[in-house]
Amino acid sequence: MMAIQYWRNKDRYYRLIGVSCTRCGRDFFPPVYRCRKCGSEELKDKEMPKEGKIVTFTRLYETLPGFETQAPLNLAIVELKNGVKVLGQVVDTPEELLKIGAHVRAVFRRIRVDGESGQILYGYKFVVEHVDARRETG
Amino acid sequence: MKSREKVAIHGYGAYIPYYRLPTTEIARVWKGGGSGPNVEKAVAAIDEDTVTMAVEAARYAVRMAGIERLGAIFVGTESKPYAVKPTSTIVAQALGQHFTLAADLEFACKAATEAMQIVTGLVGSGMIDAGLAIGVDTAQGRPGDDLEYTAASGGAAYVIGRKDGNQIATIECSTSFVSDTGDFWRRAHERYPRHLSRFTGEPAYFYHIENAVKALLEETGLRPSDFKYAVFHQPNPRFPVEVAVRLGFNTDQVKCGLLNPLIGNTYAGSSPLGLAAVLDEASPGERILLASFGSGAGSDAFYITVSEGIERKRGINPTVKSMLERCAKIDYSTYAKFRGKLIK
Repeated sequence: MMAIQYWRNKDRYYRLIGVSCTRCGRDFFPPVYRCRKCGSEELKDKEMPKEGKIVTFTRLYETLPGFETQAPLNLAIVELKNGVKVLGQVVDTPEELLKIGAHVRAVFRRIRVDGESGQILYGYKFVVEHVDARRETG
Repeated sequence: MKSREKVAIHGYGAYIPYYRLPTTEIARVWKGGGSGPNVEKAVAAIDEDTVTMAVEAARYAVRMAGIERLGAIFVGTESKPYAVKPTSTIVAQALGQHFTLAADLEFACKAATEAMQIVTGLVGSGMIDAGLAIGVDTAQGRPGDDLEYTAASGGAAYVIGRKDGNQIATIECSTSFVSDTGDFWRRAHERYPRHLSRFTGEPAYFYHIENAVKALLEETGLRPSDFKYAVFHQPNPRFPVEVAVRLGFNTDQVKCGLLNPLIGNTYAGSSPLGLAAVLDEASPGERILLASFGSGAGSDAFYITVSEGIERKRGINPTVKSMLERCAKIDYSTYAKFRGKLIK
């Protein structure tokens, strides 16, 4: 069941909760059980930064089942401020601002909907910050 | 109504979706031309709903407040994504808040101000230190109906806590006035609301707001000229200006918080968003009158005084003005796709 899988990972999807190695300080998202840098198993939950920049992106016209109504959709690899790279959709962004290096921030959106009667699954997506908006947020 | 302990706003956050539908588009499709009373309306994207907008506004409000623990989270809305399953618990989870009283409130367009009153009561009585009141809607209008011109999406959130020197504004007093009035309603399982056309004005909007505000002025001994700003519920561009003049306020007092011409009626988000626009501009010591209206019907009126903290916290969040400017126009067909009016 899609909803159960989502429920188990909801803090990951809702708040970008990953882990941080208590020995070397390296952050990971999605969470890992052993630090990939120093091998330590002493990891604690950590909320990832909500801002970053686009490393690369693509536009999907043919989507996976469940995402048809959102097509065409932009998918990007985003490098967060702590260096962690995550994959996510980029929304509410005019084509001319969607470019490598563009500053983005995470927003809370519907990821997919399980039909008319099933559950609505939420999670993070990204929005490219306009110059004015960046000034407003400091 | 006054709380025993002084209660204040510590942070606020607004959220206006990115997309705008010019009302000329609605008129083009359904009337062959013309426009609605407002220039444009804010439209939630296909992946937005009341939950997502509530979370965005709440995150801003919590960031500005700098308060870690919220003892209550109330979401005022008439457009819950679920008939049974709270919006407020999803917001709580997204904020990482679990030891909190969470509930959804519904009173048409005034559900947010009753959330503010409840949180004020909980804080003022000492039951909680701080709580969150959110007003947000993805308002529905039947295609072709007069409501479709104005029914819009957006909202605002307020972190309310004890008055401790870090507040941005103090909630001095509030009043409420209600009656059984059938101006606007939506029956169970119905997708769109119905309304009694002109009946929504005199016996509904004006009657309730005038009574609530007059009671507030009487209780506080203040006159309309004592307020720098006045924010009224905004179902269209005309009503808030007209009720202001009737009550003795002038149009300058209303101007700053009047967003309807640019974004339409965001229902439970309407007067809270107007208040957010005013707080973006207000200076310490200035008085604000806030009066909501909810069909069914009722009005809550607030007397709010701006505090010194507003200057320290300015610039933490995007302003309402920046959200108005960051937008993209869409046509009717895109709007129909986004809001589920187009069935695939």
